Amino acid sequence: MDLAEAFRNYEDKIVSQWVDYTLSSYKSSTFFKKGPDKFSNPVGGNTREALSKLYKLLTKNGDPQEFIAPLDQIMRIRSIQEFSASEAVAPIHAVKHITREILAKDSERKQFIADLYDFEFAVDLAVLAAFDLYMQCREQLYKVRIKEIKTGTHILTDSKCPSNLLKSDKDDPVNFPI
Amino acid sequence: MALAKLEQLSKSVVQGPSLATGAQPAKDWMDTPAIFKEGNFAYPAKVEKVEYLNSQDGLNFPNAREWSPDEDDWKLPDGWEKTILDGIKERLDKFRSLKIFMDCCVRCGACADKCHFFLGTGDPKNMPVLRAELLRSVYRNDFTLAGKLLGKMAGGREMTIGVLKEWFMYSYQCTECRRCSVFCPYGIDTAEVTMMLRELLHLVGVGINWILEPASNSNRTGNHMGLQPHTFKDNVDFLAEDVETLTGVKINHSFNRKGAEVLFITPSADVFAEPGLYTAMGYLALFEQIGLDYTWSTYASEGGNFGLFTNNELMKKLNAKMYAEAKRLGVKYIIGGECGHMWRVVHQYMDTMNGPADFMEVPKSPITGTVFENARSSKMIHISEFTADLIKHGKIKLDPSRNAHVMPTYHDSCNPARAMGLMDEPRYILDHVVPKWVEMPENTIREQTFCCGSGTGLNTDEIMELRMRAGLPRANAVKHVIDKHDVNMLSCVCAIDRATLTSLMDYWNPGCGVCGLSELVGNALVMDNEKRAMGYGADGTESELPDGLRTMV
Repeated sequence: MDLAEAFRNYEDKIVSQWVDYTLSSYKSSTFFKKGPDKFSNPVGGNTREALSKLYKLLTKNGDPQEFIAPLDQIMRIRSIQEFSASEAVAPIHAVKHITREILAKDSERKQFIADLYDFEFAVDLAVLAAFDLYMQCREQLYKVRIKEIKTGTHILTDSKCPSNLLKSDKDDPVNFPI
Repeated sequence: MALAKLEQLSKSVVQGPSLATGAQPAKDWMDTPAIFKEGNFAYPAKVEKVEYLNSQDGLNFPNAREWSPDEDDWKLPDGWEKTILDGIKERLDKFRSLKIFMDCCVRCGACADKCHFFLGTGDPKNMPVLRAELLRSVYRNDFTLAGKLLGKMAGGREMTIGVLKEWFMYSYQCTECRRCSVFCPYGIDTAEVTMMLRELLHLVGVGINWILEPASNSNRTGNHMGLQPHTFKDNVDFLAEDVETLTGVKINHSFNRKGAEVLFITPSADVFAEPGLYTAMGYLALFEQIGLDYTWSTYASEGGNFGLFTNNELMKKLNAKMYAEAKRLGVKYIIGGECGHMWRVVHQYMDTMNGPADFMEVPKSPITGTVFENARSSKMIHISEFTADLIKHGKIKLDPSRNAHVMPTYHDSCNPARAMGLMDEPRYILDHVVPKWVEMPENTIREQTFCCGSGTGLNTDEIMELRMRAGLPRANAVKHVIDKHDVNMLSCVCAIDRATLTSLMDYWNPGCGVCGLSELVGNALVMDNEKRAMGYGADGTESELPDGLRTMV
């Protein structure tokens, strides 16, 4: 028996607690935790899918570059919700604590806690990557906003319209009374 | 020990009262105030817009002033509570549906997880049942015996400034898309509850600029953009020239022409903003090819109706232009372009508000002879109905390979799908104009379609984060077909969609374009005497219109 086997044995339990912890960060999370379908429950479904993939990568000493896809899946959502940066990223940390706790309760496997350094280092790298992704998503959000303003989809109300160039002031009798 | 650290991890980062602290909110919903901060509210209406609307006959937009939702003092008029309660009473008497909606909800929860705002935010007040409860609690307190006697015990609460602020926050976190009402066993139309909330808020001068400015523009010059007649005409002329440059076919269109058979009305965004203008080019090409006797109008130059997002009276006033212009020009019937909420107004309210349109005839296609019995009363048909009928009768020649550069999916725009049942015609058209297209997952299309997240006048940039949250369920389904089928184009039949889905894709699924259905029709259309321009495609090779009507030549 080794740590790798312990990771495999407890995969469902650890991921389940990790997802539960992450979704608990929402004000009303019952449906997010229970809704089975990714399309009717996008936050819950994507969080579960992303953390399941990420767990496999973290526990097999995977290439940190591979963390990005599942992390993007979750951070793209959390970056535009009502979280501070730390709140958005915090759940990625949680898997360290959950894993320790679960192993500690298993008398046959608690000695592996001493071997968790590589795993926890991988989690640290994932957290750092999550911060990068958070920032990328925020920057992208602002770029989308700027693009919308520049390309004139905002024109529904604002003044880039050619006819507005003809306006002088409110008192000009040629113009309408506003 | 580890879990103790985990607990600390939650608490050390927590900033709000109920975030990251656990699944259950610590307080009852009635005791959780709405907190406004930059990014979670749309900017209030400009003084001059409110004053202008209030100056119009039959409209009531009082209390024009400088104010902001994130300031404590909203500068409400004295006695505003009575104004609101009187407003509720008036509406309960006037709209029987409202009275039923207030009384018949059994809080079964079927709607709770169906709202895209709830799914994107996890905020319980975005559950449609709870959003309606924001109004229902006041109704119970002041208009039911149980509430009058038992107050909070009967689920009632007094009208306070906190309640008003909550109404503002959550009636502007609802796009009136009506997905929730599809699932309600009692047929409660929560969109109409939102409409009532917004009406009531306008009674005390609480409204947003992104709605009131287009509405006032529309009243003033005929369209949201405030385009004056000559500018509107110029823009359509430019598009017609573009179609000629691309196809070699001269477009013969007209404006305000008396005696035309058909009046054509479309959202003004089609005439001005990308990517809608390619849709307008599609209309121009189609009508030219079939030789339709039709006219544009610079008076009824707006299909959209932001009055729908304010109150009943303004909606009626703006809508009245359609029939008034049809009567003045003496047309036989009206064809409407690709718009979302316009079709809710046309299909559900226009006839009652401004009909009967007995000066027109039941729409009959001059090309196929089909009589559109479904529009016997309103005298107005959807461009997709008209086009699908042309295809069905083989009256237009289409070459789907001309759309080989797109792999579309189809977004059912909320109002055409749920408010008028337009679901099969667009799909029939797609089957004939593109080589291949794919559906998104079943629970995200047709009557279960997810909103773009920015409808009902919420398509303003200051709430971009909110829009991205609300659009998550739609974007998530699009991502699925992108990953699985290499979809690169999201087609739809709504002008607000065309603008807002573009931003939604730019955030969630960069690289996926957005188009109107009529653009794809225009791309595939084989025109008589055409001489199609050459252009360079994405792969750098030269060919005939490699990007369809979007080709740069």
